[in-house]
Amino acid sequence: MTAWTLFAPELTVFAAALLFLGLSLGKRPNPRAVFLAALGTIALAILVSLASLKAEGVLFGRSYQVDLFSQVIKVLLALGLFLVVCICSDLNGVASRHHPEFYLLLFTCTLAMMLLASAVHLLSAYVALELSSYSLYVLVSLRRTREQAVAAALKFFIVGIVSSAVMLFGLALLYGTTGAVYLSELLQALPAAAEQPLVQIGLLLTLGGFFFKLAVFPFHIWAPDTYESAAHQVTAYIATASKIGAIAILVRMASVSGGSPYLVHVLVALSILSMTVGNLASIAQKDLKRLFAYSSIAQAGYVLIGILSMSAEGFAASIFYTLALLVMKFTCFLVLVVVASDGANIDVSQLAGLHRRSPLLAMALMMAVFSLAGIPPTIGFTGKFLIFNAAIERGQLPLVLIAMANVVISLYYYLLVVRAAYLLEPEAELPKLQLPPALKLLAGALVAVMVIAGIYPRLILEISGLAAAALVK
Amino acid sequence: MEFSGFPYLTAILLSCIVGLLVILFIPAENRQAVKRVSAVFSGLTLVLAVGVFLLYDTSRGGLQFIERAAWVPSMGIQYFNAVDGFNLPMVLLTGIVFFTGVLTMWELETRVKEFYAFYFLLVTGVFGLFMSLDLFFIFIWYDVSLFPMYPLIAIWGSTRKEYGAMKLTLYLLAGSALILPAIIFLHVKAGGTTYDITALMRPGTFSAADQKFIFLLLYIGFGILAAVWPFHTWSPVGHVAAPTAVSMVHAGVLMKIGAFGVLRVGMFLCPEGWKFWAPLMATVAVIGIVYGALVAMSQTDLKFVVGYSSVSHMGVVGLGLATLTVDGLNGAVFQMFAHGIMTALFFSAVGYIYDRTHTKMIPELGGLSRIMPVASGYFILAALTAIGVPCLASFWGELMVFIAAFRVYPVGGAFAVAGLVLSALFMLRVVQRTFYGPRNEKFAHLSDVSFRLGIPRMILAAVIVLFGLLPSILFDVINTASVAFIRGLP
Repeated sequence: MTAWTLFAPELTVFAAALLFLGLSLGKRPNPRAVFLAALGTIALAILVSLASLKAEGVLFGRSYQVDLFSQVIKVLLALGLFLVVCICSDLNGVASRHHPEFYLLLFTCTLAMMLLASAVHLLSAYVALELSSYSLYVLVSLRRTREQAVAAALKFFIVGIVSSAVMLFGLALLYGTTGAVYLSELLQALPAAAEQPLVQIGLLLTLGGFFFKLAVFPFHIWAPDTYESAAHQVTAYIATASKIGAIAILVRMASVSGGSPYLVHVLVALSILSMTVGNLASIAQKDLKRLFAYSSIAQAGYVLIGILSMSAEGFAASIFYTLALLVMKFTCFLVLVVVASDGANIDVSQLAGLHRRSPLLAMALMMAVFSLAGIPPTIGFTGKFLIFNAAIERGQLPLVLIAMANVVISLYYYLLVVRAAYLLEPEAELPKLQLPPALKLLAGALVAVMVIAGIYPRLILEISGLAAAALVK
Repeated sequence: MEFSGFPYLTAILLSCIVGLLVILFIPAENRQAVKRVSAVFSGLTLVLAVGVFLLYDTSRGGLQFIERAAWVPSMGIQYFNAVDGFNLPMVLLTGIVFFTGVLTMWELETRVKEFYAFYFLLVTGVFGLFMSLDLFFIFIWYDVSLFPMYPLIAIWGSTRKEYGAMKLTLYLLAGSALILPAIIFLHVKAGGTTYDITALMRPGTFSAADQKFIFLLLYIGFGILAAVWPFHTWSPVGHVAAPTAVSMVHAGVLMKIGAFGVLRVGMFLCPEGWKFWAPLMATVAVIGIVYGALVAMSQTDLKFVVGYSSVSHMGVVGLGLATLTVDGLNGAVFQMFAHGIMTALFFSAVGYIYDRTHTKMIPELGGLSRIMPVASGYFILAALTAIGVPCLASFWGELMVFIAAFRVYPVGGAFAVAGLVLSALFMLRVVQRTFYGPRNEKFAHLSDVSFRLGIPRMILAAVIVLFGLLPSILFDVINTASVAFIRGLP
């Protein structure tokens, strides 16, 4: 009985996936009904995840660890999927006959991420990662304008399997040198074995598989094309929920790696490269989704700073920042989906006149990009502040100074987004944007969360602190 | 939690925030209501600020009106506001400039609601920064006061407004990019339990080497905002591009945040670093004084003239801070106040002229005093204050700074005074070319400042004369803090 309750969030999502599998076999279901079914099931999944927040235990012969850390991540994942489903009411980027498959794959991907958050066996982590990746490969190709989407999905797929291969090689090296397949065994074996170059390389290559998910340099090259070519909602999912799972497993891996100086040096280098490459490339982008792709590469660099601190504070900061990323990135995509309601891509300049078309969305977008840039009083600032705090405690002041220089660079292109929304006037007068009341409420709630968590982060801080403590105990 | 009596300081912040929220809920079409609400809430803020100034007990000195509550205990963050002799004049200054700025923009017709919303947000940040004694909050308020500048300048500005807005925002954010790591570093070095300035400033908390390094970060970081040469280039461009009220707040108050930050964070927490870098600060300040004056001489745009003369005057503040003496500190803080009021009057007058004539170019304006004697009068009063004419506020600040500077840095002091003479020269020339001479018939039909539109300028002019005649009102307050601070130095 206890095993079932421990596994409840995953089972709920799995049942939902089965439901959509059934729907996809049936004849042309009503898109509206499918949407409502998705909304209902994911809302249920959030409740179940919340109910099992305190669950603790191990499953499947020690390969599956349920602790506060994994449960917090599962709540975030369910929340992320819920938010993405919220903007699927007009799913114009995907042909309506594919809607059940679309939801099926979203749910399987979320299920995989949940498994990833709890995986403490190297192979189960690998399998969970692959399940989520394969769901995403198909989701990317589902866009109505086929050719470009298929090309992007193919690129995504090829980079994905290459990094899987790299990761498998790393796992083999780790197993060969330490004989460990469980993270707990690795934790015991690593301090003694950490001096061996093969162990270090194995660890790094293993992390590479997760870096691919997070789009850390040099595993980032899939991101711009994929973001640009996938349907808006799929991009929103990749940019928000799918990052949560990647950060979760990275944090868990880092917590057992013991923080050898060698590994930290490599992570510092990757973090600097990700931030710099992402931010510099963002400056040149015109397409809004490509801009977000590069900015998420830069954000991955900031997340790495928290992880490479290798301390409970650093992990707590990463968890906090995960929530921050979810909220602020999602807000951007909410605006994108409403402005580009026909499902086509838009340039940054096409945000022109947004402040008159919808003052609420313009404000939400401004808060979201300022939050992404890390300007107080927003959740993004608090997240960066925690991350930098953890890093400076570990003597990483130079890295933080470089990160701050990157923040200044990033502000340039974020300000261009604000400029488009508040300053530019459209060439032809555009109608006011009609938002359904539910979306208005959602946008208002997101702004409120961004500001309140920026001013008064105490509650979220405590939860993420406890989750990180569960990890390093 | 600790509150001594009625929380005046929180009330000031709240009246800004509540004002902002009320503005957000007024329909955008109802411009007059937005302006009235803005005037009421900014007026309330001014009353509270004046109240705090009058109620401050100079015989006791030290921190008063203390408001302290735990905010995020696990990280040692406190909500901690208080005033002493250093920030009290700044709070008063902000109140005055805020209120007069709202009145100055009374004729605004485009996107009124958004303008006042951003403007209130900006001022909330400024007030918060001046009052706060918690490093974390100081940083938060610093950025809150910066980011509304971008839309404010880019939407309502003039003359290359987008370029000016972008340059200003990026420069100032670059400053904060140095401040944030420095603040966290101090926090971590002190044991990672508090951001409280009064706790962190205990002697021996930081090693001398750390202080030297961190002071430099803080000095550059805040110095950018104070338009310290050579990081000043954002400032004249920003002044010129900004709409009148924003220029007023920007030059009148925002630049003081920079100097105040150097004082409150840099000098308070890293006195060894301050002593070590003081000669550099003095040199840079003197270069700023002379350079600003020279560049201002060659400008033809009235706002550029004021912008560059601000660089020069902020150099005086920097020089005062670099002397490490009571007189120098007194003079610097007095000058911050006086310069704030003076530039607010400058921009307020230029704003009126520009709204009517649609030009700020000196050659085109010639002979304006025959058409707009009152508006010209305000500008000329501000110009005389800038020159340092006795019995006007700025005189006392500059006098104190130069007395201190001659004792500590005789050569630098001599250069600085030479720079000041230059500034007198260019100001008089600007006044002569803009307001005297043959009148320009093109503008003959324009009306002068009416009584109602003149109210904000009258307030500013009255403050200049008041503190020019009775400088001791302000010096008594500042002195309580600077004497204690210099005596407490290791």
